[in-house]
Amino acid sequence: MSTQASPLDKPLKLEDLLQRNIWDVDEDPHIEIPMDDQEGLRKRALVHLCPAGCYTMIGDKVLFSYEGCFECGLCRVITPEDKIRWEYPKSGKGIQYRFT
Amino acid sequence: MDGVPGKFDVVVVGAGPAGSAAAYLLAKAGFKVLILERGRGAGSKELFGGKVYAPPLRDVWPGLDKEAPIHRWVTRERISFVRGSRVATIEYSLGRRVGFTTYLPELAKWMSDKAVEAGAVLVDEVRVDEIVVRDGRIVGVRSGPDTVEADVVVDAEGVNRLLLERLGLVERLNPSYVALGVKEVLNVGKGTIEERFALPKGEGLAWMVAGDVTAGIPGGGFIYTMKDTIAIGLVLHIGKAMEKAEAGQINKHVSRILEEFRLHPYFKQFWKDADVMEYGAHMTIEGGLRMVPKRLYAPGLVIVGDAAGLLLNTGYTVRGVDFAVASGRIAAEAIIEAFNRGGPTEENLRLYEERLKESFVWRELVRHRWIGRGMEDECYFTSMPGVLIRILEKLYEADYEEPTLIDALLESLAEEDISLTKLIMKLGSVVSKL
Ligand SMILES: Cc1cc2nc3c(=O)[nH]c(=O)nc-3n(C[C@H](O)[C@H](O)[C@H](O)COP(=O)(O)OP(=O)(O)OC[C@H]3O[C@@H](n4cnc5c(N)ncnc54)[C@H](O)[C@@H]3O)c2cc1C
Ligand code: SF4
Repeated sequence: MSTQASPLDKPLKLEDLLQRNIWDVDEDPHIEIPMDDQEGLRKRALVHLCPAGCYTMIGDKVLFSYEGCFECGLCRVITPEDKIRWEYPKSGKGIQYRFT
Repeated sequence: MDGVPGKFDVVVVGAGPAGSAAAYLLAKAGFKVLILERGRGAGSKELFGGKVYAPPLRDVWPGLDKEAPIHRWVTRERISFVRGSRVATIEYSLGRRVGFTTYLPELAKWMSDKAVEAGAVLVDEVRVDEIVVRDGRIVGVRSGPDTVEADVVVDAEGVNRLLLERLGLVERLNPSYVALGVKEVLNVGKGTIEERFALPKGEGLAWMVAGDVTAGIPGGGFIYTMKDTIAIGLVLHIGKAMEKAEAGQINKHVSRILEEFRLHPYFKQFWKDADVMEYGAHMTIEGGLRMVPKRLYAPGLVIVGDAAGLLLNTGYTVRGVDFAVASGRIAAEAIIEAFNRGGPTEENLRLYEERLKESFVWRELVRHRWIGRGMEDECYFTSMPGVLIRILEKLYEADYEEPTLIDALLESLAEEDISLTKLIMKLGSVVSKL
């Protein structure tokens, strides 16, 4: 028996959790938010609740990256309609679930 | 959709449980059926908790028990209430087999394979962009530049229902009607589940968890034993989570809340040394009838499964997959009947809604319709489990003198800032609604 503490005994960082998954990333983003006028975006909620951590704060702007997206729809539901373009990825791209 | 021949009797959007059930029965009855699925093969976009009620699935696939990718039949149900490291658990050992655990990607794949065996055509990697309307009736679907025509479209697109929104048949999703599920699949090693959970060989466990594991967000946790893995996760009310996050009351990422559940001092022993195989998320319906569209049919269209808002989450069980399959079956039967009566006119497709409303699915949803609203009440999620644990703590962890039960109750209520009147009213409102 090893006495060494395993990294699994501590909370895994989001990056490490995402490492477990398979994506086939689309060339084009399937979700977009405006970078200029972000009035009405629920930034704190997007940052804390997007399960894939696609939303991050840079200064007072929220930045979006679509690559690790789970296509769950949460950000669409909490964002005013005119502040988000939300589609599923095309051609089978995006998350590829196996054991869920 | 290159190479998809011109016209079909029925086009099904989405190869989930609802779509595949409908497609299977229609193809078996001799209809020309096309299933369009956006994912790479059926199931690749599917994530759920872990337990499926079998009887409604057997109605569609009588060979289910022998053929389906069943991981374990659930013979133990547990419910735990948690406050900090303190846990109170009720365990029920079932007398018969009604539900099984599985991976939804596997089960959905099996269901769609059955539909294809019966003669349906499945085309995957096709994202339907629009349900096409002509002269006041639905005539097919469009994906990019391609259109496929059909006499009937079965909308089985799931909870996000973008197509129905675009068609104007439903309103935008209300954050209070939906929940976010986050899940981890833990690899515990072959043949260790029985020992870890003291289960008879091949049998499984379903475990719901209420209390502060959700960091104050209304919702709960789940644990399901698969063949050689364990699924754990949290279901969180999106409306409330959003409010709390915006008010600065959530200061960690949801994945961290889930990780803390994985590392909870009591629960972690069950998956000691297990690695995380997969981490994911999917949206689900909070419950109640609030997400059901005003009409479940239109000329040339029927709506089934999650897209139709047909899911029940009582807190102790989730009925999503079986409701989806049942609604798919009822839709298929109604479509067959509609053709016998002269075609899928609006009048004839109304049969679907009528039959659904006579079915167990609807009766269950009506019987539990208060649940959706109850889910928003933090009292049930944090305070009630808190009171219970505080009482037990006072009774079992006293140094010298134990309080009486009533003193323990009153003190615990005060600590959770609930008055006795409020408790009685809350319990009373639950009981009266039951
Ligand atoms: C966290 C969580 C836990 C759950 N736990 C349980 C549980 O333990 N037991 C249970 O019974 N239920 C559970 N459910 C609910 C259950 O998963 C759903 O009710 C069920 O999957 C609904 O089936 P469906 O066929 O209606 O939709 P889905 O299963 O969502 O299938 C929809 C399909 O349509 C496809 N699709 C969507 N849009 C398009 C488009 N535009 N073009 C082409 N294809 C498209 C999708 O890729 C998908 O394959 C849970 C759900 C979640 C999120
Ligand atoms: S769909 Fe879900 S996973 Fe994707 S960016 Fe939005 S919240 Fe994040």
